[in-house]
Amino acid sequence: MIRLIIGRLLFMVPAALGIITFLFALFHLIPGDPAIMLAGDNAPRSVVEAIREAYGFDQPLHVQYGRYMAKVLQGDLGISNYSRDPVVNSVIPRIINTAQLAFLSMLFAMAVSLTLGCVSAMYWNRPLDKIVTVVSLLGICTPVFVTGLLAIYFFSIYLGWLPISGMSSWRHFVLPVITLGAFQAAVLTRMVRSCMVDALGKDYITTARAKGAPEVLVVFKHALRNALLPIVTLFGLGLGHTLGGSVVTETIFNWPGLGRLMVNSILTRDLPITQGAIFFFAMIFILVNMLVDLVYAWVDPRIRYD
Amino acid sequence: MSTLRVVTAGIAALSVCAIAASAPAQDIKPQMGGELIYAQAGEQFSLFPGRNLDSGAQDVWLYACENLVEMKEDGSVAPWLAKSWTVSQDRKKYVFQLEQGVKFHDGTPFNAEAVAFVYNEAKAKKFIYSSILEGFDNAKAESEHEVSMTFTSPFAALIPNLAYRPLCIFSPTAYKTKGEQWMATNIVGTGPFIQKEFVKGEHIRFVKNPDYWQKGKPYLDAVKIVNVPDPAVRAALLEKGEIDRTVRLNDFDLARLEKNANVKIRVVPSTRQYYVALNHTVPALAHVNVRKAFNYAMDKAGIVKSVFADRGAVLAKAPTLSPGVYGYTEMTKPGEDTIFPFNLERAKMLMKNAGYEDRNKDGIVEDVKGNKLSLSLFTRRGGTQGDFQVAQLVQTFLKDIGVEVRIQVLESAAFGDAIKLGPTDAKYDMALLSWGIPTADPDEPMMLFTLTQAWKPVGSNRMFYSSEEVDRLSMLAHSEVDDAKRKDYVKQWMGELLRDAPVVYLPILALNLGSRSYVRGDRILSVDNYPAPFAWLDKAEMTKQGVRR
Repeated sequence: MIRLIIGRLLFMVPAALGIITFLFALFHLIPGDPAIMLAGDNAPRSVVEAIREAYGFDQPLHVQYGRYMAKVLQGDLGISNYSRDPVVNSVIPRIINTAQLAFLSMLFAMAVSLTLGCVSAMYWNRPLDKIVTVVSLLGICTPVFVTGLLAIYFFSIYLGWLPISGMSSWRHFVLPVITLGAFQAAVLTRMVRSCMVDALGKDYITTARAKGAPEVLVVFKHALRNALLPIVTLFGLGLGHTLGGSVVTETIFNWPGLGRLMVNSILTRDLPITQGAIFFFAMIFILVNMLVDLVYAWVDPRIRYD
Repeated sequence: MSTLRVVTAGIAALSVCAIAASAPAQDIKPQMGGELIYAQAGEQFSLFPGRNLDSGAQDVWLYACENLVEMKEDGSVAPWLAKSWTVSQDRKKYVFQLEQGVKFHDGTPFNAEAVAFVYNEAKAKKFIYSSILEGFDNAKAESEHEVSMTFTSPFAALIPNLAYRPLCIFSPTAYKTKGEQWMATNIVGTGPFIQKEFVKGEHIRFVKNPDYWQKGKPYLDAVKIVNVPDPAVRAALLEKGEIDRTVRLNDFDLARLEKNANVKIRVVPSTRQYYVALNHTVPALAHVNVRKAFNYAMDKAGIVKSVFADRGAVLAKAPTLSPGVYGYTEMTKPGEDTIFPFNLERAKMLMKNAGYEDRNKDGIVEDVKGNKLSLSLFTRRGGTQGDFQVAQLVQTFLKDIGVEVRIQVLESAAFGDAIKLGPTDAKYDMALLSWGIPTADPDEPMMLFTLTQAWKPVGSNRMFYSSEEVDRLSMLAHSEVDDAKRKDYVKQWMGELLRDAPVVYLPILALNLGSRSYVRGDRILSVDNYPAPFAWLDKAEMTKQGVRR
């Protein structure tokens, strides 16, 4: 187990350098001139050239790459082309904001999916199961922005219960968390249901029932624990998805998160910010996957990483 | 008798009430106090005026950083930090007399040295706006409160250009001691509000400047500008009273919002006109009759209605310039509501005159050699309001006159790359663009948009259009001393653009501003600025609407 952790942590270094190099190459291959993005479409060439010179875009690629990597190895991820703010100052607060949203959304999704999935499996093929199936399919099919805007109009405008934007109190978290978590809840519900239906059909469940174990214990102790492995995998993937894919939710609720920052930086060719954001995102994703592997070993004692 | 007295007194009382009720709103005295919450669409990337032309950032600066002159709603320019000025006969030297007793927020004095520093630095460091100070040589403090600006060649458009928000006077001391990087997140000027808090991507907050040079102002205690990217959410926030004002609402929401008694909506035409740049190196588009045909084929009223809900755009009555821009003259004929009014038959006739007919009856016209007319149209999606939808309509309208159009949608940065190329490298036949005039003076479009010397990649003449007469008129207007003569040159220039039709002229975008009805004294300008430094809040009305902050 210790070797797993150390190995994964050590892997992060070459992974980070590889990602940064890949992004650098990609940004210089795709069309888009950051100097024009800064100066505006109608700026004359002299202004664009001046920006290129001031920001170092006129240097040969290998010089730009060398300078940037030298700084990265010293822990300096550079400064934004636009805001002139250090990348770390721009990215870290956004990661924290998105991480809060992503984590709470996944907790919400787990709570909903475990409950509905288990209930659905217990009443398999009966009306309750069919209702849960329809609701979860609706959740999968409904785009995030539809969920978000409907939630705003109903809970904020019509009922006046919850605020629309901001982060200053727990009430500000409710709608964004539900909006972002609804899709994951729907997907996880389907998975929990399938895994539980499979687990509840196993021999050890029949044995437990024959021995007189209460049904609650049969479902939530024996069946659920054995059904958890694929659910844990999906949780890890879902957390990664919500971390990087929350841009729509962040836009609707004016949540100053990583998603919006990444999209804006790509559209404006702000390479330092894009590299910094994706660098941190990759590190978090590697850590999350490591944690998922560790949870596997805790859930299923048969799994060992020796 | 007593009954008569009662009735007479009652009539008198009613008359007094009626007169009081009909008193115009501006007679109401501004109330002090309160915080204005204003939602903007985008994020301010940088607060430093020298490196950012974004209109959202301009709207932030105007609370803290002031210009030498200020633009009014009608496009005219009024004194501001410069209380007066004189111009040399040859228009090469301007001398400004500055307001006295003004300080920057860091306590250092505003004076001629400060102004000279800012503009000399703009030239030395090539600030992004430096191109609009065409021919600027140097600025010099003639005395404590007198500063001169000299130019290498006559420059008629300096005064309106100085009203352009990025040319505001920031504190040289803060710039020299803290650096440009620090100023990207801190704006230090002479304005009525001082920056208190800046949370990137969320909000910026200003508090009242107690030492502001205009006594008795500002009226508000604070202004908070929040970033809310989605227009539907901004509308919802406004309706709920969580914000006091906002801009760039969805055109299709305006009618609904106007029905809300607590909300007022203002719409003004901007100085930004949509156009299709026609690449004159393409043989078909070098033909003036083909270009005119394209213009007549456009149902501009249809575009205004279907893409902009009849609110977000207005018909253009002149080429390139819009009402409020210096020298603007309507160029429509009597009975016409736009230049090149929609006329399919005329368009087809012009195509035929140019030698383009549908010879093989496949719905696409061919030239005399039998080559079908198929053109590419480059566009962004989401870069400017309604761009992709307008491109689709252009494609449809040109199909009606037998022109096949292949739309190529490019991501914003890729589009910028595609349209920066010169005549031998440009891949587009047509490109959907818009031209905004942030200074409300035609000098920029004349010098950058239609001049032969301004062909891309040097300037912004993406049509690779060349006309000796247009060049001559542009240069004359650029340096003309006499106001009446300059306006006449501008009018003649517009006349030439109408005759030559180098582009397809499309509608002019309109700007909207939504605010709660208790907000008074804020403004909307056609140059995409929404000043509210001297706004105030009607507290009684706020309470009546249930807004408690």
